[in-house]
Amino acid sequence: MTKSKFRRILAILLCVCAVAMAVLGGVSMPKRESEVGTAVLNTLRIRTLLNATGEGVVESYVAIAKKEATAEAKAAGGGMSAIREAVAKAEEETRAKYSSTSTDYSAIDTTELEKAMDGYVAAMKAYADSENAARQAYIDAHYDEAYAAAEAARDEKVAAGQEVSDELKVTVDMSGFEATEEMIALRAKADEAYVFVGEALKGIYPVMDDAALATLKGTIADITYQAGDDFTIQYDRYVDAGSIDALDNKSAAFVIRYADDLIYGAVALIIAALTILFNELLVAKLGIPRVIIGLFFILLCFMALLYDLSLSTLLSNTVVRMGMNSIMVLAMVPGIQCGISLNLGLPIGLVAGLIGGLLTIELGIPGWLGFGFAILVGSLIAAVCGWLYAQLLNRLKGEEMSVTTYVGFSIVSLMCIAWLVLPFQSLKLRWPLGTGLRNTIGLDSTNFRHILDDLLSFNIGGFKVPTGLLLFMLLCCLLVWLFSRSKTGVAMQAVGNNPRFAEATGINVDKMRVIGTVLSTVLGAVGILVYSQSYGFMQLYTAPRQMGFIAASAILIGGATTSRCKISHVLIGTFLFQGVLTLGMPVANVLVPGSTISETLRILISNGIILYALTKSGGASRG
Amino acid sequence: MAKKDIRSILRQNAVTVMFVVLCTLCMIFSGQTVPYVIYELFGRLSRNSFIVLALIIPIVAGMGINFAITIGAMAAQISVLWVIEWGVGGLPGFLLAMAMTLPIASVFGFLIGKLLNKMKGQEMIGGLILGYFANGLYQLLFLFIFGNLIPLKTSGLVIKGSTGVANTIDLTGGAGGGIKYALDGIWKTDFGTALYVVCGAIALIAIVSIVLKKVSAKKGAIAVGAAAVLCALYQIPAVAALFSMVKVPMVTFGVVGLLCLFNIAIMKTRLGQQFRAVGQNRTVANASGINVDRVRLIAIVISTVLAGWGQLMFVQNMGSFQTYGAHEQVGLYAGAAILVGGASIRKATNGQAILGCILFHLLFIVAPPAAKNLFGDAAIGEYFRVFISYGVIAAALVMHAWSGIQKKKPENALREASAKN
Repeated sequence: MTKSKFRRILAILLCVCAVAMAVLGGVSMPKRESEVGTAVLNTLRIRTLLNATGEGVVESYVAIAKKEATAEAKAAGGGMSAIREAVAKAEEETRAKYSSTSTDYSAIDTTELEKAMDGYVAAMKAYADSENAARQAYIDAHYDEAYAAAEAARDEKVAAGQEVSDELKVTVDMSGFEATEEMIALRAKADEAYVFVGEALKGIYPVMDDAALATLKGTIADITYQAGDDFTIQYDRYVDAGSIDALDNKSAAFVIRYADDLIYGAVALIIAALTILFNELLVAKLGIPRVIIGLFFILLCFMALLYDLSLSTLLSNTVVRMGMNSIMVLAMVPGIQCGISLNLGLPIGLVAGLIGGLLTIELGIPGWLGFGFAILVGSLIAAVCGWLYAQLLNRLKGEEMSVTTYVGFSIVSLMCIAWLVLPFQSLKLRWPLGTGLRNTIGLDSTNFRHILDDLLSFNIGGFKVPTGLLLFMLLCCLLVWLFSRSKTGVAMQAVGNNPRFAEATGINVDKMRVIGTVLSTVLGAVGILVYSQSYGFMQLYTAPRQMGFIAASAILIGGATTSRCKISHVLIGTFLFQGVLTLGMPVANVLVPGSTISETLRILISNGIILYALTKSGGASRG
Repeated sequence: MAKKDIRSILRQNAVTVMFVVLCTLCMIFSGQTVPYVIYELFGRLSRNSFIVLALIIPIVAGMGINFAITIGAMAAQISVLWVIEWGVGGLPGFLLAMAMTLPIASVFGFLIGKLLNKMKGQEMIGGLILGYFANGLYQLLFLFIFGNLIPLKTSGLVIKGSTGVANTIDLTGGAGGGIKYALDGIWKTDFGTALYVVCGAIALIAIVSIVLKKVSAKKGAIAVGAAAVLCALYQIPAVAALFSMVKVPMVTFGVVGLLCLFNIAIMKTRLGQQFRAVGQNRTVANASGINVDRVRLIAIVISTVLAGWGQLMFVQNMGSFQTYGAHEQVGLYAGAAILVGGASIRKATNGQAILGCILFHLLFIVAPPAAKNLFGDAAIGEYFRVFISYGVIAAALVMHAWSGIQKKKPENALREASAKN
């Protein structure tokens, strides 16, 4: 009783905090664009400006003092050393007198400067936006060129056997960019406005001359406005320059700056409160691991928002990775349904699919035809191998998991030898020097690279929807679902649920297990091809070894057990697992730069969930 | 009658026989000289046999091959890191590392045992995946805690500009002179001396045992005779020449011998009998009042600690180790080795472990050059031995599962019966 009461109180407290934060954030958010926000920015901007120009002014004073000192010393008739001494002394004194740390900013009257700056900011904003638009137009016009060049560079790297990242980095060469007429006109306007700023500055610092103003122009322009500026960026820039002291009400400005994070935090707190409140229900419905991983995924989303990472891009990548992995995860379904538990021998199917893909490239079959050919050949090989594999498994009922793992491992290492000796000829596949096939085979536009990803794909903001990939995924899921509703499928599930009962009702258990295993292996072959087309590479040698584990852990995260699963487990599990991995990497890199913590995360999650499933399935009571 | 015996022996030891044939073939094609191969073999035996012997107790206790010994190896590597950091070198450093490994590996072993008790019948796959999982934790420890949260002072352990402990840990340097060859270097001698010492010891023990009437005179005489024959054989120059390159680290092999004796001795205690009872049938053992979970826990703890010490012997012989990779294949290679020697996942002896170790590592030595000579590519040999490692384990599991089903366990009887209909 007390425990649940305590939980309720905690949840209410969290909710109150959340509401407070949400109200604070919600009230502060619009202030950014209102007068309050502009005032904050103006104050900060003026202080930054004074700071920056102040240094220039000190130099001017030093120059003047030096000149005077030299003249005085000469007049006194001193030698060279006396002059030098006098100059050094004058410089030191002047610096000490005017150094920016001791400047009393409150004594400076900035009304003139503020007025001048208002005009200049508006002019600069117009100019910078125009330049930005012009540059973007230039990039759009030349993007295809740059993309082709980047692709060629990557293919060259692959051909030389170097490692390449899976994201293609496209940089447009801006050397050909020229200012448009609009830009030049706006620039002239900005220059006019700058004259007033210069005069205002001269009013504050009498020693400021035109030469000093000219040198400071670039700095002032950068302080004033940069392309793509919004409230947060400018605020951070000015605070980085050490101007925070200029504000009278620092905390209010701080709240305005972090208003969005306050709102995110409020949502996070509400989720936390709900989790605490409905803890038991959630755990009962989803199981502890799914709750933990689900919450972890939500946490990562909030951290991505907090660190101002582009959440939409990250989620878009998650969807792509979900699509590319989903078929391999789907391959677990027939295996679990027919009673061979997690098919950790999935590499058998993967290898078959890879052979199909290799043959396509070797024969040079382009585009859709090639992809279809690869799937067909891969599936045929997988069906034959799967049938043999099923014969083995039928003789080993009850011991499938450990046997399948090691059979899968053996096949992968046997194929390592095969990749070295198979008589493929194409130079896309072989090392130009030395024996055997390449480690990673780069697919290009003449093969089936991104053939599903790019089909009917469209963008919503930063979110790219790989329509073809998702449609293919749903199609496969639908087919497996339809199969599981068919007469054979129902019989197969009966075998998986209770083999003895199935036998008693006259179902041929061995035959059903064969069907399930073959289906699982074939889906593995299709899965690796879908994965490769999206990834852009086919990975040979030891790469497929761990993929069975990754697929198995994904479906377990989705809610399957070693003896029961649904299609929804595939979709949820793949999304959560890939989501955690995709979001985990950039967030981890913010926390610990240049680390491999994301890979460590994958190892922990993937193996942890399998261990959990094993503890649930192992015959604990048989002791 | 005799013919049938040979056939059944061959069938029971199919893996071992196949390996003998394979090793012989590879030996012929490798073009390596016998003295060199024997020299290499002794080196590999001295550093690998201890950890293989660590697998025996869990097998007897019915838990199959303990692939979680990788976690014992991790415990050893944690100890080595700190011994180097503190600059304790030589034999004291090695003994300190052993002393540190004991509690760390015991705690790890306790946790492993707890977990494996929750997945009875799935221990091997559980141990394998637990090893992978622990590798993730190990990476967290070595990448983000050691060297960052807990600073390391010794140069070479951390590399500036990268996070965590360096990729390779060198055991030769350091303030105390390092622990390389801390055990091997105590007493190294040529093969002849080693043979005489061992044979002398055998003869002495045999004679003393006869005098004390612990063994029958016949058995004692056979032991003395065998020792004498071995010494006599070594007098033939051709035989002696085969071992000319070998330097035997006496203390290391002595420790391995001690472990063999420990394995024999523990089986004669009450605990050893409980291991065997649990291994044969958990239900019966439980009914006869044995605390099955506790016995299995003890078996895993002992195995994990021994594996840790085995890894220490391995790294002191190698002189350096890959921080993030040295432990990964330990379970695979040790498991494959003991199976090659004729052990199954239910039965294993010291002799099988040592024989398996010899055959398995013999293949490791001769396979790459043989593949290079036959196919012109040493990489084929590398992949081949990895394939063999996995293949041997897969084959052993298949055979075991097969024979288990043939025996018609009560839980399978119904299924079998209905399959016939």
